[in-house]
Amino acid sequence: MTLRQTPFHARTAALSEGQAWRRWAGYVVASAYELSHEREYHAIRSAAALFDVSPLYKYLITGRDAARLLDRVVTRDVGKAKVGQVLYTPWCDPEGKVIDDGTISVLADGRYRMTAADPNLRWLHLNAAGLDVAIEEVSEQTAALSLQGPNARAILQVAAQRDLAALKYFHLTEAKIRGIPVTISRTGYTGDLGYEIWVDAAQALPLWDALIETGTPHGITPAGMLALDVARIEAGLLLIEVDYFSSKHALIEAQKSSPFELGLGWTVALGKESFNGKPALVREKERGPAWQFTGLAVDWESLERLYAEVGLPPRLPTQAWRTSVPVYKGGRQVGYATSGGWSPLLKQYIALAHLEGTFGTAGTAVEMEITVEHHRKRAAARVTKLPFFNPDRKRA
Amino acid sequence: MSAASRWDAIVIGADVNGLVAAHLLARAGRRVLVVDSRKAPEQRVDVGWVPPQVLRDLGIRAPAFYLQADQRDPWITAPLPGGGKLELWRDLGQSTEAIRKLSPADAAKWPEFCTRMRRLAGVLEALYVQPAPDVETREIGELLRMAGLGLHVRRLGKQTVIDLLRILPMSIAELLDDWFENDTLKGVLGAAGVWHLRQGPRAGGTAFNFLHHHVGSPAGVFRPPRSNITQVLTAMPGVEVRWGGSAEAVVLATAGRVTGVRSGSEELVAPLVVSSADPQTTFAPLKPQLDAEFVRAVGNIKSRSIVARGTAQLERPADFKTLCLAPSLDHLERAHDDAKYGRTSARPYVEAVATDGRLDLHVQYAVTIDQTLIASVAAALGVAASQVSLEPQSGHHYHGELTLDQILFMRPVPGWSRYRTPIHGLYLCGPGTHPGGGIAGAAGRNAARVILKDN
Amino acid sequence: MPSTYDAIVIGGGHNGLVTAAYLARAGKKVLVLEKRPRVGGAAVTEEIFPGFKFTMFSYVVSLLRPEIIRDLDLPRHGLHILPLESTVTPMENGDYLAAWGDHDETRRELYRHSPRDAEAYDEYGKLMHHMAHAVRPILGMVPPDPTSFDPRDLMALLRLGKHFRGLGAERLHALVKLMTMSSADFLDEWFETDVLKATKSASGIIGTFLGPRSPGTAYVLLHHYMGELDGVFRAWGFAKGGTGAVSEAIASAARGFGAEIRCDATVARVLVKGGRATGVALENGDEIAAKVVVSGLDPRRTFLELVEERELPGEFISDIKRFKFRGSSGKVNLALDALPSFTCMPGVGRQHRGAFSISPSLEYVERAYDDAKYGEFSRRPYMDIVFPSMIDPGMAPPGKHVMSVFVQYAPYHLNGGWNDAKREAFGDAVVNTIESFAPGLKSHILHRQVITPADIERITGLTEGNIFQGELALHQLFFMRPAAGWAKFRTPVRAYYQCGAGTHPGGGIMGASGRLAALAILGDGA
Repeated sequence: MTLRQTPFHARTAALSEGQAWRRWAGYVVASAYELSHEREYHAIRSAAALFDVSPLYKYLITGRDAARLLDRVVTRDVGKAKVGQVLYTPWCDPEGKVIDDGTISVLADGRYRMTAADPNLRWLHLNAAGLDVAIEEVSEQTAALSLQGPNARAILQVAAQRDLAALKYFHLTEAKIRGIPVTISRTGYTGDLGYEIWVDAAQALPLWDALIETGTPHGITPAGMLALDVARIEAGLLLIEVDYFSSKHALIEAQKSSPFELGLGWTVALGKESFNGKPALVREKERGPAWQFTGLAVDWESLERLYAEVGLPPRLPTQAWRTSVPVYKGGRQVGYATSGGWSPLLKQYIALAHLEGTFGTAGTAVEMEITVEHHRKRAAARVTKLPFFNPDRKRA
Repeated sequence: MSAASRWDAIVIGADVNGLVAAHLLARAGRRVLVVDSRKAPEQRVDVGWVPPQVLRDLGIRAPAFYLQADQRDPWITAPLPGGGKLELWRDLGQSTEAIRKLSPADAAKWPEFCTRMRRLAGVLEALYVQPAPDVETREIGELLRMAGLGLHVRRLGKQTVIDLLRILPMSIAELLDDWFENDTLKGVLGAAGVWHLRQGPRAGGTAFNFLHHHVGSPAGVFRPPRSNITQVLTAMPGVEVRWGGSAEAVVLATAGRVTGVRSGSEELVAPLVVSSADPQTTFAPLKPQLDAEFVRAVGNIKSRSIVARGTAQLERPADFKTLCLAPSLDHLERAHDDAKYGRTSARPYVEAVATDGRLDLHVQYAVTIDQTLIASVAAALGVAASQVSLEPQSGHHYHGELTLDQILFMRPVPGWSRYRTPIHGLYLCGPGTHPGGGIAGAAGRNAARVILKDN
Repeated sequence: MPSTYDAIVIGGGHNGLVTAAYLARAGKKVLVLEKRPRVGGAAVTEEIFPGFKFTMFSYVVSLLRPEIIRDLDLPRHGLHILPLESTVTPMENGDYLAAWGDHDETRRELYRHSPRDAEAYDEYGKLMHHMAHAVRPILGMVPPDPTSFDPRDLMALLRLGKHFRGLGAERLHALVKLMTMSSADFLDEWFETDVLKATKSASGIIGTFLGPRSPGTAYVLLHHYMGELDGVFRAWGFAKGGTGAVSEAIASAARGFGAEIRCDATVARVLVKGGRATGVALENGDEIAAKVVVSGLDPRRTFLELVEERELPGEFISDIKRFKFRGSSGKVNLALDALPSFTCMPGVGRQHRGAFSISPSLEYVERAYDDAKYGEFSRRPYMDIVFPSMIDPGMAPPGKHVMSVFVQYAPYHLNGGWNDAKREAFGDAVVNTIESFAPGLKSHILHRQVITPADIERITGLTEGNIFQGELALHQLFFMRPAAGWAKFRTPVRAYYQCGAGTHPGGGIMGASGRLAALAILGDGA
């Protein structure tokens, strides 16, 4: 087989009606189980969607200098994080350009699990020179599921036989689901109430079965990447290789981005003594980033008018697109959108975009390119602060 | 704890480069301390050209007054396969005659060979008394300097330019095979091409290494000059030198800035530290403060030590000044073959310098120093094994092989060839930097000039 | 038949054919004279045994310049290059290392050997991609003369300098390393898996008289990334019909533009009058006049055989005499009644559509080199094996196969010289070595053709059997190729040009020399 199968493949393959698969980090995962992703998407916002997120790269970092290594590599202050906390963070090259982004779970004192979209074992080892730390790749040994939606807590509480109301946003706890030891972190990629469940790969299938059984009365729905894509755009969350390129894969300087240019300035702890890229980031903070990462909301009337000109109702992209679309202001291109699509929940055509300098200020009127019946047109749009969707239940 | 430290600069290593750097800083008014982990200064002869600029800057009136140079003649003796020996002399005519007995064709080519090689060595000499050309610079001054160097070379003639471009990347075997036919002659010359390199004479870059070891010697003398420069420097007043200390001095730094040196249990404070030690040792304690890629580059420095040094005691006085036991290029190549696979040469190349009633030995290729090696060295010299003693290996003598990718702006690591390091206030000045080992004091002088410019 | 041609090209190898095609395209009356019954030189496909077509010497393509493919419209003349998607290296312990077409799959395979190497591979690939990109313009450039004060040379040197400085520090340093290091040392900085380093290094020693630990071999690692197939940098491809089809396509293009190609016509010497080439004399005595004569032969033949020494400056003659050839490659072509099954990957499968590399460890390849250094052929040689019939079924009768085995090392200067017995012994060493990785191979061999460097020289005329028309050592490249001051395709004899791989950029089926020579001739106002 060219691609690997995740530990959940026996279950996910059985569910696939349309045989719509795609590759993710060398694995094959479902794009959608049903022939359309629509129902799966709605489950995220109305009940609970279950995603197989096992292909994430995972590293266990332990030892006396574990926090020191992580603090050297990432922009957030790991040393200050408490046991049970989960940090979302990018990490940069020495020039302050983002290599990758992921989470760091503080499992115990001197014990961390780091997730990443790209392989980072070598990078971690290079940065560990002279430090007393052990780095173990556990990508294959650890399977992971993501349960997202308003019913997610209810389902997990039944499955784990525990009250999870006290589990705060971006924190984790150990638990047992039908006797299977799991780590439950209140994290996710949908900007909604949701949890990720980390388990030993050998116990993947029993875990899946347990969740499906307890979750079915609550509307649990296995969902694929197409549904996740729409939700993450609503949540304003970046995707590597789509919204930004790893500086390790960039062929030219223009393909690299700093955390400030990606709206991740809040993750950059300039107060830390030193970390990869700090000097460059200090300088950038002073002069201001060259780009801003923001949301765009396409104006419905404008869209309707463009289609009406050719006698059609507006064509709405129900599947999110991941191509680069120019954004204009005053006849000049001032940026580009990298992800976008129609949000069924918000009833808006939304996009994530990079805009030069001050054009990224919320409220700015811009135009986004749209191809209508083979012709390139521009629809009016407004720069919108991210996220587009931020329900109270996410943090409650 | 006083805020002002007692010294402006601490130099690690009282070797020739460390001492040159220390004295030059002292002459510029700095208070300099030199620390060296050895118990006392060694009574060792320096092998390598001492650039006149070093002597001039230090006010050493050379050569007759303080500096003793070893002008041994013949500069090499090599046994011939049928008996007898080949001796090469400082006088070109005398050498030509000696060679003529072996091969008239080789003798006919000898003078021109010597002239051409001397000219190329001269180009290297010009390069060595300055920091390596900075090929990435945008500074007009530096660009002009490089253009000037290019013009200087071009004015030496078309042949020299072609020689430079052609010979520098070549193997010494190919170069010598192009000129000469006699195996013993080629063995003697070829040996200088593989000194301190884990390569055989057929490897590219050995012609450069050959020229490197010709630097500072007159035409026709293909071994480096010998002197007592370190002794002279050690005796010169102007800097404080501390000997002893339990181990290698350790550089101390905080947040990317040097704070001083730990020698033994004592912490010595200074805003400037200049290390003549090898780069890998210097940077080892500083890894967490250094860029991951820089640490990787330092780790990648090729410094495979394959030279064994030692002495041999003779019953009778030697009937040679310097003896070269490398009967042919193939002998050297086979000796290297062993080292390639991690073994000490079954039939090593041995060079013995007669000094004060003993022989100073240079042996290649030594991967492990054991009785077998001692036995082969003794056999080659015709003495008893008990008369031979070899020192345990202590790292690469040049702190990094002089391969084509580890010279000039690539030495010690690419982009850091100007003696500065990523740690503010920490500089390197040893043979691990440009121009490499065997050029006495040039690195120290170049480094001192950079330091004084920076501070 | 015109009485005077505009140009005569000596040698119908691929470079000579390219030169002829470009000159003919520019309206010149061109005649190509080839001594063998067919064109191609070392890029020929021949039916040595009935029904079995052997791509006799060269066997893969990827460096053929895209501009040549476009300018001469080669696809219309039959050129069709099929991708070679994989390389499998059997290991001595029964395991293997494979590189597949799919990036994820290759990564997983590497991960099996070393997780860190799997990640380093991507970074290494990115760097090499950049390096190949940086070096590519040099392939298409006429080397400037560094000793001349001619403003054109100085400008070219300045442009070159500017190009290199424009790479940025990181890439400039990487380029210096690539040009000076051994492939083993260069790879040691990136990887820990020995079999990976051995397989990659092996591509660095092809056609050379060097081992993986010899400085100067890292440069050839770039060739792996300079190959262009469909605009994508990829490794190697197989021309449908073998490399002979490449030569035939170029010949067809040349004829299409009006060039005349004569086979079985051996040129004995170039006619020179008053320091100027005026035509050629064939072995049979015929004399043919031309305004310009171009030699596609290697430098030794071009200068020391086709013209008299008195026509050339003494220094130049010494330089040419010093130019090293030392062929080190051999070839064994087998006709099989079935495909061999390799112990490490039993059965017949997609692995047979790619290449097998017999390079299980760095020590293995280095020892193969040691044998050659002292005048013997490698007892356990490095080999690059492909099954052309698996990629192009037309190469063998249905159900049967051809196996092309490229071998290092077989020194031209073998102790005691090559003869029939030595050739067979060499062939045996090759087959026995493969048999140790694929038991049963011998039982499937219907026919065997063994080609030594002496055979290469005898058949194609390549001096000392060197497949690159002269070693690709640093001091024999670029403005030194074939001699300082004579690297611009011209020669000391007016109207006499050189267009073979003995000029920049050297060997590999690139066609670049042929094209640059043609442009120089046209530029000189021929």
